Amino acid sequence: MREHNTLGQTLQERGISRRAFLKYASYLATLMALPPSASRVIAEEMAKAHRQSVIWLSFQECTGCTESFTRSMSPTLEDLIFDFISLDYHHTLQAVSGAAAEHAREAAMKANKGKYIVVVDGSVPLKDGGVYSTIAGITNLDMLRDTAKDAFAIVSVGTCSAFGGIPHANPNPTGAVAISEIIKDKPVINIPGCPPIPEAMTGTLAYLLSFGKLPELDASHRPLAFFGETIHDRCYRRSFYERGMFADSFDDEGARKGWCLYKVGCKGPIAYNACATLKWNGAVSFPIQSGHGCLGCSEPDFWDKGGFYKPLSAATAGLTLGVGGAALAGAAAGAAGAELVRRKKAAAANAGKKEG
Amino acid sequence: MRTHDVTDCCPQDMTGLAEALVFEIADLLGEFASSGKGGAIDLRGLPMTETDRAALAERLGRGEVQATVHVSGRSEVWETAYAGVWWVRHLGPEGQIVAEQIAVTLIPQFLVSHPDDVHVAARKLRSECPVIAPGTSAEHFERGEGTHA
Amino acid sequence: MELLDFARGPALQFGLYVFSFGVAFRLAALLLLPRTKDLSKARANTPGVIKASGREIIRRMWPQPAYAEATRFTTINGYIFHLGLAIIVFGGTPHILFLKGLLGISWPGLPTNIINGVAVITFLSLIAALVHRLQSPVLKAISTANDYTTWIVTMLPVVTGLLAVSHLGWRYETLLGVHILSIAVFLVWFPFGKLMHAFLIFLARGETGTHLAHRGAQL
Repeated sequence: MREHNTLGQTLQERGISRRAFLKYASYLATLMALPPSASRVIAEEMAKAHRQSVIWLSFQECTGCTESFTRSMSPTLEDLIFDFISLDYHHTLQAVSGAAAEHAREAAMKANKGKYIVVVDGSVPLKDGGVYSTIAGITNLDMLRDTAKDAFAIVSVGTCSAFGGIPHANPNPTGAVAISEIIKDKPVINIPGCPPIPEAMTGTLAYLLSFGKLPELDASHRPLAFFGETIHDRCYRRSFYERGMFADSFDDEGARKGWCLYKVGCKGPIAYNACATLKWNGAVSFPIQSGHGCLGCSEPDFWDKGGFYKPLSAATAGLTLGVGGAALAGAAAGAAGAELVRRKKAAAANAGKKEG
Repeated sequence: MRTHDVTDCCPQDMTGLAEALVFEIADLLGEFASSGKGGAIDLRGLPMTETDRAALAERLGRGEVQATVHVSGRSEVWETAYAGVWWVRHLGPEGQIVAEQIAVTLIPQFLVSHPDDVHVAARKLRSECPVIAPGTSAEHFERGEGTHA
Repeated sequence: MELLDFARGPALQFGLYVFSFGVAFRLAALLLLPRTKDLSKARANTPGVIKASGREIIRRMWPQPAYAEATRFTTINGYIFHLGLAIIVFGGTPHILFLKGLLGISWPGLPTNIINGVAVITFLSLIAALVHRLQSPVLKAISTANDYTTWIVTMLPVVTGLLAVSHLGWRYETLLGVHILSIAVFLVWFPFGKLMHAFLIFLARGETGTHLAHRGAQL
């Protein structure tokens, strides 16, 4: 519901001073690579803002994105996001269910018309009229279109909603598509990742709240602040890559020494995400630091890129039979050609003999 | 079983960033001294190693003022040995650094009481003042009438 | 499907199939052609086919003294870019991984910086080869579309490879996709253009060597 108190007043009532805004704003400015001078503006704007109504729609998903969102590791700071937003509808986190939940959603949409943010996780199935994922008898497609109608912006969290993700992987039996394939008339921000880094989600929401506009996005509608660089560009093992020192297999000598994981299929060079800098679980580690190559989980069709353990430079199609078959076919064609020549020659020789 | 240490792979050497920052801070401080226009440098946005950070802290030193702020976790603010150059460090709940900057200013905004907080505090303190009985000298004093014999 | 996925998948697949078919076709067609047997008697002490052909292949790896001066540039520059290409292809770790996927075997690679340096030298050497071809009146006169196409198709992987490792111009996944596509183009062109010399020089030199040895001559 639309609150009458500003965020500043709300926190004030809980005995939290404006310094909390300034601290959160500094943290946000650092996260999103904004100049330090922006933090004062952010703090002022946040304090004046009203709680942002957020409607969270969960479609064909595994709930990993919600898990990541609620697993933020700077809880005192990031808990603030739950003060800044009013999560008016969320299957997993809300107390009500059934018809009451749907009424809550509709009421929030009406009260905050044109101002609420729709956060979506999970892809939308289109096949067979969308029957493969429904909520309260409503298909995901209908619910999305209906809810997005009066929204301010759509935020697709997770690779499933951003690009189709795992449901979209070969052979895509449900006809799963990304949110941006359906919603064309509203701004859509993609925050991919399987799951996305918590700060990427909370930071983007806080930015929307503070500035009332979308952050800078790349061609795939991903915030540049979190998805502007590849894992490879910021990987601490990069020097090994440059020097040609690779792990040949898991647990070999190179792997134990922490060498580059290119040979065991790391997709770091083509994966745009902040894992190498922000890391996971409160900056503890990320896949490469733990010894496994990057899966490229923030990229479209990461599941269908030839396999997690196939290096980027290797061909992905199964080739042995085909190449062998092609060689045989070529040899046969060559033999046939030579045979043609042979016959022509013989015919010419015969003709010559007859004349002679 | 530990296989490798992250620090084995990225030697925590000095990258020279600390020295470069000193130049930048000197420029900012000079500008601030002459024109009053301050600035800030976000340290978390820079690829500093732990050694760089320690070197910078040692280079700038500590001045007379040190403050600990308890809001959403702990934050530490201190003036360096150079007046006007402040170090602002925000910590999360596990004591990890979540934001850090060098602020060139008279006093970091973070330490200054916000007018809105002051208004709220004024109302609160007024409401907590002891009740003054009518007719007493205290009441006259309250009304600015001075003391009466 | 993204460019890189297409390049690593269907494009390389097509390229390798065409390469495989084409090389087998040309070699089979050539070797199975009817041959006129040489009815003359071989000279005394004629070495066997293997020795005669092997000898000629090796002999022709360097020009005869009479032609040395005239062919100095082509010989030396030719070796530079051939060896350069070999070092890049067989010494660069990403390429070794590609071949491992095809052949099942691998070997240690060279440091990336060395490969990059060799690639720059190879690039310059290929440019020099083209300039030489255009400046020499004889070479220019006898050059055909086949020659220029072959040059382009060989140069593109070198250029796109250098761009990819330098992350220059476009996003890395685009550069890598273009580089792999250029290899697919190279593979498709290979059996049908001048690149086929990679197989044919051994057959041609061997044949010449055997033929001359039969007559007791060495050239």
